[in-house]
Amino acid sequence: MTQQFQAFMLLGAASLLVIIFVLLKKGLMTVKYSLLWLCLAIVLVIFAAFPYVVFVLRDLLDIEMPVNLVFLLMFCFVLFVLLSLSIAITQLAEKCKRLTQANAILEHRLRQLEDAAPTPPGTAPRNPHTPHKE
Amino acid sequence: MKNLNALKTLVLIPCYNEEENIVRVVKRLKTVCPEVDYLVINDCSTDDSAALLKAGGYNYLDLPVNLGIGGGVQCGYRYARDNGYAITVQMDGDGQHDPAYLPEVIGPVADGKLDMCIGSRFITHEGFQTSFMRRVGIRFLSGMIRLLCGQQVLDVTSGFRATSAGMTAYFAEHYATDYPEPEAILSATLAGYRVGEAPVVMCERQGGVSSISSIKSVYYMVKVSLSLVIDRLAIHRVRAARPRRKGEPL
Repeated sequence: MTQQFQAFMLLGAASLLVIIFVLLKKGLMTVKYSLLWLCLAIVLVIFAAFPYVVFVLRDLLDIEMPVNLVFLLMFCFVLFVLLSLSIAITQLAEKCKRLTQANAILEHRLRQLEDAAPTPPGTAPRNPHTPHKE
Repeated sequence: MKNLNALKTLVLIPCYNEEENIVRVVKRLKTVCPEVDYLVINDCSTDDSAALLKAGGYNYLDLPVNLGIGGGVQCGYRYARDNGYAITVQMDGDGQHDPAYLPEVIGPVADGKLDMCIGSRFITHEGFQTSFMRRVGIRFLSGMIRLLCGQQVLDVTSGFRATSAGMTAYFAEHYATDYPEPEAILSATLAGYRVGEAPVVMCERQGGVSSISSIKSVYYMVKVSLSLVIDRLAIHRVRAARPRRKGEPL
């Protein structure tokens, strides 16, 4: 690994850290999801500051260029993040489905109760239910 | 068959953009089988289905976002479970299923012979038999389900099916999304419920468009086939993970 590449990695890790902290501060990302990215930034800093770690890992995996090991690890990391996002989306979709169903059943019950109850005189007419269209 | 009127029965009618059919389907059901309750599930239709249902004073659920047929029907099963229905019937909102055959489909469930009874057009081969390519697809899925759980069902994609209270409670918690009919058969069988068929005559849909277009059919076959295999593995694992009895070897 060249000096330039090490400097570039340090710069990249620093910008990643700044971006994550800004996102956290603005409330655009929760701490739960930021942990993975923070790990990546820390690992990048370690690689850039102590290239010896990369050389040892390269010898273990018998990879020609140390920089290829960095690329490989980063690719694996991205795959891992994507998988975890797919899992998160699936869980959200399931929760969203349950909520929609509960909402529809509640709305049906409310409609029945409203129809059964006599409207007190002098009250404004009820708004018809307007479902949100996607 | 036991007295149909004695058992509290609910007919679920999923409805997505069925403004041409839905009122006629509900009216026909009310004329032919006035003794059963019904519930239309409007899956956030983009046409005038909701307005028609409201204007007609029909009993309907209004999903605030589109969930697809699986999520919509599951919502109906939840409603049926919460309201203590003994039998729940699912019937398409496009007029393919004739309410006159309700007693045939409900019969085996009411008698306690089956937990889920599917109205099948391939037993007597009467009425609308769908296109050749679809029959090939249905036969393939039927063979696959038989291979995976040993249960012979001919009309695996039929959405005309009656379920017992226990089966309804199971579907209220476990029901596939997207294209759920074949998966429901497999998961019900693997979970230990008795599944069977009753002969019915279906009609061709009278208006509107089917939810499965020709472009989607490839996706449908791949998705359903894969889901069936996954379900087979997943439900097997649930069984294997049951608590071990004292003294039972590892």
